[in-house]
Amino acid sequence: MKTPLAWKNVVHNKVRTAVGVAGVGFAVILIFMQMGFKGAVRKTATQIYDALEFDLMLRSPLYLHLTEPSTFPRTRVFQAASMPHVAKARPFYLGLSEWQRPQRPDSPAGQWQGDWRGIITIGVDPHDPPFIPAELRNKAAQLTDPRFVLIDSKSKPEFGPVNGVQFTEQDIGVETVLGSDRVRIVDVITLGTGLAANGACVANIEGFARACPWQPLDEVNFGLIVLQPGVNAATAKRQLQALLGTPTTSSAPSAKPADVEVLARSEVVAREEYRWVVQTPLGQIFNFGVWIALFVGVAIVYQVLSTDIANMMGEYATLKAMGYSNYYLASVVLQQSVLLALVGYVPSLAISWLLYRLVGAHSGLPMILTWQIAATVLALAVLMCALSGMAALKKLFQADPADLF
Amino acid sequence: MPGTKPIPATSGVFTDGRQAPKSIKVSKLNHYFGEGELRKQALYDNNLEVKRGEIVIMTGPSGSGKTTLLTLIGTLRTVQEGSLKVLGQELHGATRDDVVRLRRELGFIFQAHNLFESLTAYQNVNMAAELAGMDRKVANDRIEYLLARLGLGHRIHYKPKSLSGGQKQRVAIARGLVHQPKLVLADEPTAALDEKSGREVVTLFQELARDEGCTIVMVTHDNRILDVADRIVNMVDGRIRSDVAVHETSVICEFLRQFPLFADLQTSTLSEVADKMMVEDAEPGDVVIRQGDPGELFYLIRSGHVDVIVEHDGDKKKVAELGEGQYFGEAALLRDEPRNATIVARSKCVFYTLGKADFKDVLARSKSFVEELRTVLASRT
Repeated sequence: MKTPLAWKNVVHNKVRTAVGVAGVGFAVILIFMQMGFKGAVRKTATQIYDALEFDLMLRSPLYLHLTEPSTFPRTRVFQAASMPHVAKARPFYLGLSEWQRPQRPDSPAGQWQGDWRGIITIGVDPHDPPFIPAELRNKAAQLTDPRFVLIDSKSKPEFGPVNGVQFTEQDIGVETVLGSDRVRIVDVITLGTGLAANGACVANIEGFARACPWQPLDEVNFGLIVLQPGVNAATAKRQLQALLGTPTTSSAPSAKPADVEVLARSEVVAREEYRWVVQTPLGQIFNFGVWIALFVGVAIVYQVLSTDIANMMGEYATLKAMGYSNYYLASVVLQQSVLLALVGYVPSLAISWLLYRLVGAHSGLPMILTWQIAATVLALAVLMCALSGMAALKKLFQADPADLF
Repeated sequence: MPGTKPIPATSGVFTDGRQAPKSIKVSKLNHYFGEGELRKQALYDNNLEVKRGEIVIMTGPSGSGKTTLLTLIGTLRTVQEGSLKVLGQELHGATRDDVVRLRRELGFIFQAHNLFESLTAYQNVNMAAELAGMDRKVANDRIEYLLARLGLGHRIHYKPKSLSGGQKQRVAIARGLVHQPKLVLADEPTAALDEKSGREVVTLFQELARDEGCTIVMVTHDNRILDVADRIVNMVDGRIRSDVAVHETSVICEFLRQFPLFADLQTSTLSEVADKMMVEDAEPGDVVIRQGDPGELFYLIRSGHVDVIVEHDGDKKKVAELGEGQYFGEAALLRDEPRNATIVARSKCVFYTLGKADFKDVLARSKSFVEELRTVLASRT
């Protein structure tokens, strides 16, 4: 059993190790948060899709992202319904409308304070709402009147919940204006707001038409296709696309309409994530944040390690004089750096878990600490410390035993 | 011996005639620091031989190059000019692997203890034992023996923080010795120690030198430990000014003391005289001095026997036989006369000689010179 010099060094100098661990921890928490935000962007971008029931989706080739979906003729949905493998084909309306902050019940007349907010408005058929969660389906069934809406509890407080924080059952019955017409909140759902809007509400199709009057109802945003059990989605997609024509954005005359794109569920999610994480600056900011955090971590750990080496220059030089190789010395320093990474990681994981919950509760972002994030951050922490260790090695190799005499 | 460089008597080269293996052999070693115009020579044409099992003390003012020489011997610097053999390995042009291999046979004791604060005394010493690949049990016994021997038996598992300066230094000494090095290089090993533990350390050095054939070279200014040296090397300005075998010098001093004229001289004066003596040798039958020649040297017989032959009116007569420790040739120097006898070597002889000027210079310091002179002359016929 060799003397575990690296471990002894880490354990021995508690103050310096504490500084190192704090430095690693700081960087690791930063990385955790950036990755959490990035994960939240990813999740947020697709969480409305997660609640929708479909195997294949029809949408316009001009679709950009959730809140800029463009439209296509509703007849395409009915065409799709004629396919033998298709169990259900439902139109799905989604647009951005304006929500007026409800007047507080006790505010005196003439002091109307309702600000206008952009809100995602979803239009569904209350007899057959295309939602997966049973709770959502049940609540959507209440949308029997175009003046009724369901409000998303994840909507930001500026949409005017009664308690000033979040829409709850207290808000049921509150009336306000959506678009240009009065609506009443009939229930509260939990859906999750997108990144392009801070709130969401659900109305029936007629209500949607009132909220977004610029969109005729024979132009739909999405077609949600549910296949018969046992039908291969890829095959069905090919058949459907063949029926509806190859999508194109050009307006050249064509025998087939070619105004619809057919996508499998996995493609929808992947494209939406790509859109937000890669194409918009949003995801890039967080990627960049990870790099910054890594850089900060490298700088701090380098400082700790190089101070440590500087303080033990004589000892390392003595080891060299004794005949220990540079390779051995390097392995001691690298072990020390990896130990710092591991020791710094554990508490940071716990703190980050708390911060995720805190930020998630506060911002409504779906901050989820997945094992993938935990593993990635662990790898980055080790990489970070190893990099600083390697940078510090230069100093170590300068240890000259001839200076000892 | 014309043509050859005279060898100082105190170098001990001729002692016993025994050619013990050399741990260190330095020849024509030069060393420079700096580059280009700033290049400054630190060592000039140094020659030194150290036998296995010898304890060598290097002295000299700071900046004299003794530390440079020590680091060169310890493979911590690269040899630039000349030859340096350590434990049989030529270091001029040695590869990294050779050097690293050699280093494991060396023990270093530095002035600063350089102990890892994070390791206990035992673990610090063990770092050296591990590197040498010592058997666990052997290493354990030796670490415990050395630490106990150095008075740290009760503090084996203490960390340096809980040890005094002297104790830390003793741990560092144990670390330098644990792997049974063949050569120990020490820089002021006893500087941080009180007299008692300093003595303990050098006694341990002596034991290692005697029992394990360990060669020890140390730089020290600690006069209390000079007595353990087999050899004292004094350096000044990058040159070895004197390289004295302590035992041989004391032998010479004893011999000189038997010479009545030198009897009242102090040891320090005698050793100065010894320093000035040179080696000469003779084969059986060689005429060392011839009657009637001018006298230039005073002779002390280190080994062998000679015949004293006086020639009187063409009649050669052997008047005496001299052996080890006896001397001849003084009369001609004292009276500035030609030699009054012929000396012929009977066997292979080694003489230590002192020049006329040096001889007279010494005599002038002797208070009882005149009386002694009379006695000496009176006792001669």
